[in-house]
Amino acid sequence: MSELLRSYLTVGIFGVAAIAMAGAMLTIARILRPQRPTPQKLIAYESGVDPVGGDWAQSQIRYYVFAVLFVLFDVEAVFIFPWATRLEVYGTFGLVEMAIFIFILVLGLFYAWRKGVLRWV
Amino acid sequence: MATQSVLAFVGPSVNWWALLPQMILLGAALLIMLVSALAPKQTSTPFVTVTTMCAAITSYIVATGLWNDVQRDGPSSSIASAFGIDGFSIFFTMLILVALAATALLSHGYLDKEGIDAPEFHALLLCSAAGAIVMASANDLVVMFIGLEALSIGLYVMIAMHDRRQEARESAIKYFVLGAFSSAFLLYGIALTYGATGSTNLIHIRDYLGAVVFRDQHLLMAAMALLLVGLSFKVAAAPFHFWAPDVYQGAPSPVTGWMASVAKAAGFAALLRIFFAAFASHRIDWTPIVSVLAAVTLVVGAVMAILQNDVKRMLAFSSVSHAGYVLIAVQAATDQGTAAALFYLFTYTFMVLGTFAVVGAMGRDDDHPLANYAGLGRSRPVLAIGFTILLLAQAGIPTTSGFVAKFQVIAAAVNNKNYVLAGLAMITAVVGAFMYLRIVMAMYVDNEEQKSSVPSWHWSTKVVVIAMVGFTLLAGLVPQFLIEFAEDAVPILIRG
Amino acid sequence: MVAQNIFFGILAAIVAISALRMVTTRNIVHAALYLVAVLAGLGALYVLLTAEFVATTQVLVYIGAVMVLFLFGIMLTKAPLGNVMEMTGRQWPLAAVVAALLGGVTIYSLVDRFGSERLNTDGPIYRTADVSDEVFSTYIVPFEAVSVLLLAALIGAIVLARKD
Repeated sequence: MSELLRSYLTVGIFGVAAIAMAGAMLTIARILRPQRPTPQKLIAYESGVDPVGGDWAQSQIRYYVFAVLFVLFDVEAVFIFPWATRLEVYGTFGLVEMAIFIFILVLGLFYAWRKGVLRWV
Repeated sequence: MATQSVLAFVGPSVNWWALLPQMILLGAALLIMLVSALAPKQTSTPFVTVTTMCAAITSYIVATGLWNDVQRDGPSSSIASAFGIDGFSIFFTMLILVALAATALLSHGYLDKEGIDAPEFHALLLCSAAGAIVMASANDLVVMFIGLEALSIGLYVMIAMHDRRQEARESAIKYFVLGAFSSAFLLYGIALTYGATGSTNLIHIRDYLGAVVFRDQHLLMAAMALLLVGLSFKVAAAPFHFWAPDVYQGAPSPVTGWMASVAKAAGFAALLRIFFAAFASHRIDWTPIVSVLAAVTLVVGAVMAILQNDVKRMLAFSSVSHAGYVLIAVQAATDQGTAAALFYLFTYTFMVLGTFAVVGAMGRDDDHPLANYAGLGRSRPVLAIGFTILLLAQAGIPTTSGFVAKFQVIAAAVNNKNYVLAGLAMITAVVGAFMYLRIVMAMYVDNEEQKSSVPSWHWSTKVVVIAMVGFTLLAGLVPQFLIEFAEDAVPILIRG
Repeated sequence: MVAQNIFFGILAAIVAISALRMVTTRNIVHAALYLVAVLAGLGALYVLLTAEFVATTQVLVYIGAVMVLFLFGIMLTKAPLGNVMEMTGRQWPLAAVVAALLGGVTIYSLVDRFGSERLNTDGPIYRTADVSDEVFSTYIVPFEAVSVLLLAALIGAIVLARKD
């Protein structure tokens, strides 16, 4: 197993430990707690008020723009990551290139803001 | 990490001069967006049309300079050979810029009439044009794909922008779903090409395929098939044309013209660059597939066109059959064939833009029954003559550029000893001519009961129609300049 | 090498089972969550192939962005939740045939090309920094073009969404 994979093994072990710990806590709680279900107890907790209607509501279409914005800047992040690992090597060249890249996308954000799609009505 | 940062980094050498045409277009797009964000009230339709026209003209002047450079110094490529600067790329740059100027003018009257946001439309149009240029110039499959996506995203939205018309939305969804589907095919083809040859760079692919003899080449064949399917969708070649009639019909007419001219031309540019230039050593493998595709496309386009009663649908199928003629030239896989394909695409761009300019002026977008055109020869004689010339050019009648284009394509097939395809092309040309003549007849048959809808002429539409008809006749009567232009524009893959 | 194979086996099993459950489950949100498992498993497989950057991208773009779009797609439509809906269309056998065909062709061409060829395990490892060097030299223009592409997508999304 190579050096690289060995370093990722740590990530894997960490993940397994996290899952095991959460699982253990839930299991122990299940064993220790008394179980006397009543219909009232099975109602979904809605800050102390009885829930009204079904558990499924259609969302507003306007949130879609936020989803799209998230996707765009997520993709932007994909390009910033590798750039960040080599930041010093590229010097001014890298800085300028990344500035152009980010500028064009920020222009899009600016446009969205000016057009009022970011307003939370 | 410490050792890594010591490694010297050499930035790429970039020939900015060669990238200038696209960069002007993108700069104009950014300018339009910035102005519309800062001063939405002041961003009127004339302002954005003028900006787009200026960008197109400046870009064209730069492209002319580049053409002269390439003719003097020979082709080259830039940015680690990912970007070709040859006659081919500049030829398509010019073609796309002509279409851009025409579409900007056509949309000028249209956008105001229909209440569509002009700044957004033009920004997307400019992005789309820049994408098409990148696609035609790319020497690297990844770059080509990004160009294709920029071209397509602009198109999807431009089709859907008409928010009051359900048909436009429907056709945008159809185009989007099938476009995304075909992009996936193309991307898969690119991945398999990389798997088979070890590179996405077309120059490297050509050298590799020329030097290495495969023990068995199923991976490469699968790659070729996927690339061909993906691009056939884009150029609307049968049997991948199913989206074309619905989308052409539902889209706003200026956008239909843009789609029929630029999306098709850029698709063929990619096809020629990949297959003719990069897969040259394997032409025995791909030319039979392309010939079959060409034959099917010709027959489907011609036969389905005469079955339609809606003018826009007829023209959509005629656009399919035109793809068939270009495919004949592509399957020849010779310099002569490629020059014929280029000539065909250039003249077709003018014909189709003029045709859809007239169609757009004739009435609402989604309803173009043939009856609407009845008696047009009497009520609008000049318009009728212009439209007749454009239709006859598409049919391939002598003295128009369409005749020279079809002649060259068939000559390329004959020289390649593909007599079956040449014969089929002639037969389908006759069948197709019937459809164009049907529209022409409808215009000149006097029928007192049927009133032709009175077209709303905007001055910009007039300019476009006159320019397109003029060029169609010019290239039909003295085609030599365009033939030589196309012959100088055969793609050449060259390093650095 | 052995450890790698064991991990590959575990991950491949997770991916395959999740993929199967994704197309057979009757709850659309469950299907989306199974898709997360498939994509995460693939991301882990990329790490095993020492493709660090691809794995990061897989997590960021697929598990992040694409899943957000999926869930928004579910939430914005009136798709009923739970097991009420018959999720499987009537044409599923046709889809299965197409999928099998595509899978068959892919497997065949890959086996045909690479067959029993053994990959060099001691070969160079491409780290994120190497990818970065490629992006900032060979692919510098496509990199900038991507920003324009994203911008066009953003304008398009706003134009289409605003008037609804």
